[in-house]
Amino acid sequence: MTGGKIKLRDWSAAVVLGVLLVLLAVFAPAFYQPQPLLSLLAREAPALVVACGAALVIICRQIDISVGSQFAVCSVAAGLLAAQGLPLLLVVPLSIAVGTLLGAINGVLVAGLRLPSIVVTLATMVTWREGLRWLRQGQFVDLPDGTQWLGLSQTAGQWTLIVAALLGLLGLVWATQHLALGRFIYAVGSDAEAARLSGIRPQMITFLVFVLMGALAGLAAVMNLVQSPQVDPKAGTGLELKAIAAAVVGGVEITGGRGRLWGVLAGLLLLACIGPALTHLHLEAYWEKAIQGGIILLAVVADGWRHRK
Amino acid sequence: MNRPGIKTALLRHETVLLVVVVLEWFCFNAMGPSFGSLDNTFDLLRHSVGIGLLALAMTPVILTGGIDLSVGSLLGLCAVLFGKFWRDAGLPIPLAAAVTLVCGAAAGGLNAVLIARWRLPALIVTLGTFSLFRGLAEALTHGVDTFTNFPAAFLFLGQEHWLGMPAQAPIFLLIAAGVWLLVHRTTLGRSFRAIGYAPEGARYAGLPVSRRLALVYVLAGIIAAIAAIIYTARLGQAKADAGTGYELLAITAVVLGGTSIFGGSGTVHGTLLGTAAIAILNNGLVHARQPREVAGMLTGLLLILALAGASLPKVLAQRWPRRQNAPH
Repeated sequence: MTGGKIKLRDWSAAVVLGVLLVLLAVFAPAFYQPQPLLSLLAREAPALVVACGAALVIICRQIDISVGSQFAVCSVAAGLLAAQGLPLLLVVPLSIAVGTLLGAINGVLVAGLRLPSIVVTLATMVTWREGLRWLRQGQFVDLPDGTQWLGLSQTAGQWTLIVAALLGLLGLVWATQHLALGRFIYAVGSDAEAARLSGIRPQMITFLVFVLMGALAGLAAVMNLVQSPQVDPKAGTGLELKAIAAAVVGGVEITGGRGRLWGVLAGLLLLACIGPALTHLHLEAYWEKAIQGGIILLAVVADGWRHRK
Repeated sequence: MNRPGIKTALLRHETVLLVVVVLEWFCFNAMGPSFGSLDNTFDLLRHSVGIGLLALAMTPVILTGGIDLSVGSLLGLCAVLFGKFWRDAGLPIPLAAAVTLVCGAAAGGLNAVLIARWRLPALIVTLGTFSLFRGLAEALTHGVDTFTNFPAAFLFLGQEHWLGMPAQAPIFLLIAAGVWLLVHRTTLGRSFRAIGYAPEGARYAGLPVSRRLALVYVLAGIIAAIAAIIYTARLGQAKADAGTGYELLAITAVVLGGTSIFGGSGTVHGTLLGTAAIAILNNGLVHARQPREVAGMLTGLLLILALAGASLPKVLAQRWPRRQNAPH
């Protein structure tokens, strides 16, 4: 396992994405219309924030499948607050606070009680989702006029969201590479016992990663909320799988301790482009989910193949 | 692993669960007359067969320390394939069912090759096939096509009575008995637990770990296909979204039934009790005029409580070891 090969895997999603974009440029130049493309990117901006969190959780050798439900709870909470007339400047931190709380509950159960994260987050996913359905009965939340696109024009709002998501990504990339806490996540993910022996508190790091995941879900919820005039209480259904898939396709290894957040961006864009690409290449759009599944399997096989070498 | 302390604790888990199930039954019975009626009991049985079958399929998988997120999607894919074979390929129902079972086995085989032969993590492999199988079902039906108008002889399987119970119940009991015998009364079943408890140890002990792992995933595929056929017979239609979310309910039933999510320990009768607990809770709350969502929420909370109840004493003992050693 040489350094060269690791780099190849880090970049493979980006390479495949590049090939797809070139193919589109040759066979379906209509894909490159600015407005649909901008809408696509703005739509994926919240997913990028969530996928970064999911990547950090996976790097820490855990998994969080409750993010979709956290996202929905934060969306509805933020929507109700905004409907009460609270300015967005207050809604954003409050939504993040709700997400942080939900993440902390996962964190306590996983790190404090040492329960397996897959089952804990499965349980919280169902509990939050059903609880929300019970409270809201499928009702949409109507948002006040100034909320959509942050009160800006649509194009400016979309650019703001994209830039915000990229800044978030940059911040997390910097933090994972330069902050001690960021390095600790990798340390705990590759070998929790070795990390503990070198003075890191693995349970504390695990707890914080889940809290961060919740906070990012809360932030993403607001980024999604400002894109439409209403809040769908079913928001975020399937988001957890999308986020995990983006991380894995982007080269984050499910066995923990390895992966770059840059890869997550490429992985997410690759998965997001499949649907529009199928439409523009005049193929049946129904194949989208099957192709996404195939890409995830290919990414896992690539990881496994590298380990065998 | 064979220490009596752990054994009695396991025994206690299933006993407690049995008490919970019985209590649930009596509570809902006391709340209204409609719950305990024979009609409703049959209705409850019909509805729980699908999830029950997937939970049975999931038990050996989780016993080996794996997981299979793709069973719900596979149920959808098999339902669509079954409809295709019958309506579009013109096969008679029994032949269509047989070919569907082969397809289920092949889909399970795909999981098996990736997990058992190439040693890839089960969680992410089955996450991929979760998306792949559902996507294929959608692609085959273009997202809208529905298969209906099945012959009455086939719908009998899902909607009529046989031997004094819903027609699908004997099939379910037969498969449950089969899985129970496999897990608890054969060396194969014992090897599942050995692999889940210590995969490397199992290899050194001479167990063919890859082949045994492949077996549990192929078995899960076949059972998911059977579940798909029974599901189609109950609803009288096959659609691409059949069984959405069933994988999570199946995992909940298995974990609630006392099977360790890390593998190595668990029982099939625990899984059956877990399925019953979830099914009665869902059905009973609907009869008590509570919204269905409350049942879902309570299922989630029940799962957390079951896990925390099993783990809290251990964590406390680790944190304050002296207290445990102190003389009483």
